[in-house]
This record gives sequence, structure tokens and C-alpha cells, in this order.
Amino acid sequence: MMSPGILAAAVVKVLPKKATPLVFAALGGVLSENAGIVNIALEGIMAGGAFAAVATSYYTHSVALALASALVTGALLALVLAYFAIAQRADQIIVGMAINIFAIGGTAYLVSAVFGQPGASPQVAGLRDESALTWAAAAIVVALHVFLYRTRAGTHLRAVGEEPRAAATAGINVAAYRYGATMAGGALAALGGAYLSVGETDIYSDGMVAGRGFIALAAVIFGKWTPFGAAGACVFFAFFSGLQIVLQGANVPAQLLEMLPYLLTIVAIAGFIGRARPPASDGVVYEP
Amino acid sequence: MADALRRAGGPLTALAAALALSSLIMLAFHANPLQALAALFQGAFGSEQGVAETLVQTTALLFAGLGVAIAFRAGLLNIGAEGQLAAGGLCTAVAGASLHLNALFEVPLCLIAGAAGGAIWGGIAGFLRARFGASEVITTIMLNYVAFLGSSYLVSGPLRGDANAPETAPISASAVLPPLLADTRLTAALPVALALACALAWWLRRSVAGYELRAVGSAERAARYAGVDAGRVIVQAMALSGALAGLAGATEVLGLLHRFNAGLSPGYGFTSIAVALLGGSDPIGVIFSAFFFGALQNGALAMQALAGVPKDLVSVVEGLVILFMAARWFSKGRTCLRRPAVAADAP
Repeated sequence: MMSPGILAAAVVKVLPKKATPLVFAALGGVLSENAGIVNIALEGIMAGGAFAAVATSYYTHSVALALASALVTGALLALVLAYFAIAQRADQIIVGMAINIFAIGGTAYLVSAVFGQPGASPQVAGLRDESALTWAAAAIVVALHVFLYRTRAGTHLRAVGEEPRAAATAGINVAAYRYGATMAGGALAALGGAYLSVGETDIYSDGMVAGRGFIALAAVIFGKWTPFGAAGACVFFAFFSGLQIVLQGANVPAQLLEMLPYLLTIVAIAGFIGRARPPASDGVVYEP
Repeated sequence: MADALRRAGGPLTALAAALALSSLIMLAFHANPLQALAALFQGAFGSEQGVAETLVQTTALLFAGLGVAIAFRAGLLNIGAEGQLAAGGLCTAVAGASLHLNALFEVPLCLIAGAAGGAIWGGIAGFLRARFGASEVITTIMLNYVAFLGSSYLVSGPLRGDANAPETAPISASAVLPPLLADTRLTAALPVALALACALAWWLRRSVAGYELRAVGSAERAARYAGVDAGRVIVQAMALSGALAGLAGATEVLGLLHRFNAGLSPGYGFTSIAVALLGGSDPIGVIFSAFFFGALQNGALAMQALAGVPKDLVSVVEGLVILFMAARWFSKGRTCLRRPAVAADAP
């Protein structure tokens, strides 16, 4: 058995790798949910971003373009959510599920159709040093906090998520904020997906997102819908997934460690460890 | 008849739109949609074996789809059918391997075990919603992963019954569901599912409990004022929903796999959301939509083999169907579920 010190050092080493994609996706969720749009399509959007980055890198050999295409793909998938949620007043959860099924099936279809082989893309040019994205994620945590709580636009955005009718009366364009927050959030989540593909592995393979979008969703709730809270929850969850890698071979069942984020979220949302209260109009259809 | 046709109009238009958009995607990748559709049809209905396999898929989707539909009718969104299916399947596999009774008793007992496993898994979400106002959407998503990981742990550790693979011990011969057609995988689970759909349709429309469930679904506050114990109804609805998904897992285990392992479900629980929506959350409607998605999923393999169109296109169709059903274009302003705000309606 390793000493606790060596164990901790080993976990800290894999922590950025595990946490970065989660943080991007969770920040995307924080942004849209503060504007009142629940995004349970984070999983599918991450897959879309991961695939778009690899496909773009495959054709252009440019990592910058790959990241840009992930951002655009994420924003477009989120636009579908925003359009149906805002203009069609559809149930956001159902639309989110539809995007998940559509994006995960669609990327699997595209892997076959574009690369001519099912399951995984060939190796493509990727980021030489993905720690740049980790720093970017950290910077966005701070920036999003400042934006949400220290700027006029951020206050308006939160007002739209809490009391859209009052916000509208005060002259705030509810739909514009919701579209903007949802699309920017989608772009962030897709960047988390791109980290998995052109950052970590330089390929896209079916199922590579592997539930991270839902862990990010859990982190949003666990972090009480704030940037620092959600990012902290991501690091916390990443710690356990790192621990599980480090403890491989030791007599600790990996599945039970992996289960922890999900169990904790259930406990959190049931209010056992402080009330996890979403923005008041989160997920509620707004009828102007 | 005219009324039934009118109600089917929205789903059929949504379906047509989804198929049209998928055809455009195929055209973009130089595949022939008509050829793909013909191959899909050939695979789903072209042979006795094909029809039987379509009905096998229909059965699982029907059980799980009924579960999601019942929750919808109570105003609840059960995203957790996949986890409830796993919980039910595992309970059935354990019961089937440990009980050694006459088939007349063993099969029903194993089915009950599966329904109970699913009911508990769904009921947890119902209880957390009723007691603490915790959004059932979030808890069912999280419970899915707890079920996947928990069952994976159990079959690789305490419940492992096979030295070579992480799975439970095989069920006893008396627990196996009898086949319906020789040399096919079609079992007596199909008539059970069909009978259950009819029973649920009657129950929703004619029983007091069904009425209360619909009342809570359409106007929870009004139902409360009318004296309905909404909390109890929510727990019951989620438990019933979970039990139905659990039966999907139970019949898969008893009829097809004869044990529990990670390959139990190719995502029936997620597809069942599309099944319930397309079926208008009506048990009879769900029969038709389960059959449609069963054919789609079964035909996909032939579509891939004969027309060279990757089978994953079926998921694209599924996603689009859900999307279009959620939009107001095809539901004429009335969505099949009008849910109260997430977590904002704790008693």
C-alpha cells in the first residue's frame, strides 16, 4: 500500500486532466441555468464538440480551427435548445434529452460516414500542451464570477433567471439574455468535449464523453449554481476519479468511488447538506 | 375513429418531419434514403426471424415506454428508466438463480422481483420529490449512474456467478420464459406487455387512483385543494413507472439473457422516452410507438449491412422525433405534459 503522501501526489498529478473538461461543461451549465434555461444536453454537446474538433483537425490540420469549430458546434447545438425552449416554449428537459440522443447518435453516424470506420476516428493533430486549456478554464471561472456578480449585464442575466417578468418590466430583453447565455454555455461545454478529443487523446471515439456531461450537471447543482461552487465540485469529483486510477489494483472497488458524485448530488438536491436552490425560474417556460 | 385519427395526426406529422430531415442528412453523405428505408423495412419485416426480432425489441420498449408514459401523466419526467431497468433485471437474475420452484410459481415470482427492484429505484426518486421537493429529473439521472455502477460492482464482486465474465449465475431452467415462436427469441413477455398496456389504459381512465394520478399531473395544486394526497400519488406514480421499466429488465433476463450482465439493455430506457412521447403518453398509443421504434432499431442493422448507412442514424431519427414532439407545431399548443417548476413546489 502506498503512503498517503505519495498517493495524494499521484492524484494531484492527474487532477487537472480529470477536472478541466468537467469545469468547462459545468460553467456552461451555470451560465445558462442562471438565465433560466436548464441544459441537460451538456453530455451531447460535449460529444458534438469533441467530434467537431477532431473532424476539423482531420481536414485542416489546424488545432486553432479545431477548437473554434468545437465552440461553434456547441453554440449551434445549444441554439436548438434555446430556440425550442424560448420560441416554442417546449419543455427544456425533453429538448435536452432529444439533443443528447441526437448528438450522441449523430456523432456515431458521422464517425462512420466521414472516416469510413465505425467506433473511432483516426489519430489527428492535437494540442501540444493541453494545460493551456486548464488555465483557460480557471480563468473563465473567475471571469464568469465577475461577470455574474459584478457587472450590470450579469445582474440582468440573473434577474432573467430569477424573475423574468420583473426583468422584462424593467426593460431587460429576456429572450436575448436567454439565447446568449445558452449559446455561450453550449460553446463552453463543447470546449470541454474538445479537451477530451484534441487535448487528451487526439482521436474521437464513440462514448468518450462517458457521462461527464451528467457529472458536470451534478457539479452545477452541488456547487449551488455559482461558478466557484461548480468548479470546486468538479475538482472534488475529479479527485475521486483520479483516486480510482491511482488505486487501480488496490483492493478498492472502482465503481463505488465512481458512484460518489452521483450519490452526493442526490443528497445535495434533497437538501441534506444545505438547500441546493436553483434560480427561481430555472427551467420554467416564460410566456411574455 | 375520427377522434383517434385526429389525435394520431400530431405524432405522425412529427414522425414524417423527423424522417424527412434524416433523409436530408443521408443525402448529404451520398446515401440513398429510399434504399436505406427499403433495407430497414426488409430487416424489420422481411422474414419470420426479422418480424420476431422486431417484436422482441418492441416488448422491451413497450414495458419501459409504459413506465415513462405513466410518469408523464402524473406530471413527472422519469429519465431513469434505464437505471430502473437495470435494477429490475438484477433482482430478477438473483431471484431466478436462487429460487428452484415449479415454473408456474417461479416465473411470476421472478417477474415480481424485477418489478419490485424497478419500483424501489423509481420510488426513491418519487419519495425525494414528494418529501423534499427534489427534482425527479436530476435524481433519476443520478440514480441511473448509481444503478449502472452499483450493478457493475455487484456482478464483478459479491454476486459474481461466472469465473470468466462479470455476470450473475444463470437462472434455473424453471425460470426461463417460454418461447412464443419456435427458433426465435420471441417470448411470452410480449402478450404480458400488451395485456399490461390495456390494463393501464383502463386503470388511468376508470379507476380512482388513475384519476388522481392524472389530476396531479394536470394541476397539482388544484388536486391538492380537492383533497388528493399529491405526495402519495407522486411516490406511487414513480414506483409504478419504475416497476414497468423493471419488468423490461426482468423479461430480458428471463427470456433472452438468462442472467444479468452489462449487456442487458442497448439503451431501451432512453429510447422509451421517445416511445412515450410519440405515443402521446397514452398506453394504447405507446403500443404503436413501441412497435415503430422496435422496427426502427431492428431494421437498422439491415440498413447498415444492405444499404451501407450506419445504424446510428436511427438515434438521429429518435432525437428528432422527441424534439418535434416537444415543439408546439405538432401538438397544437397543448403539450402532453405541463410540469410545475423544478423543485419549486415542495409542500
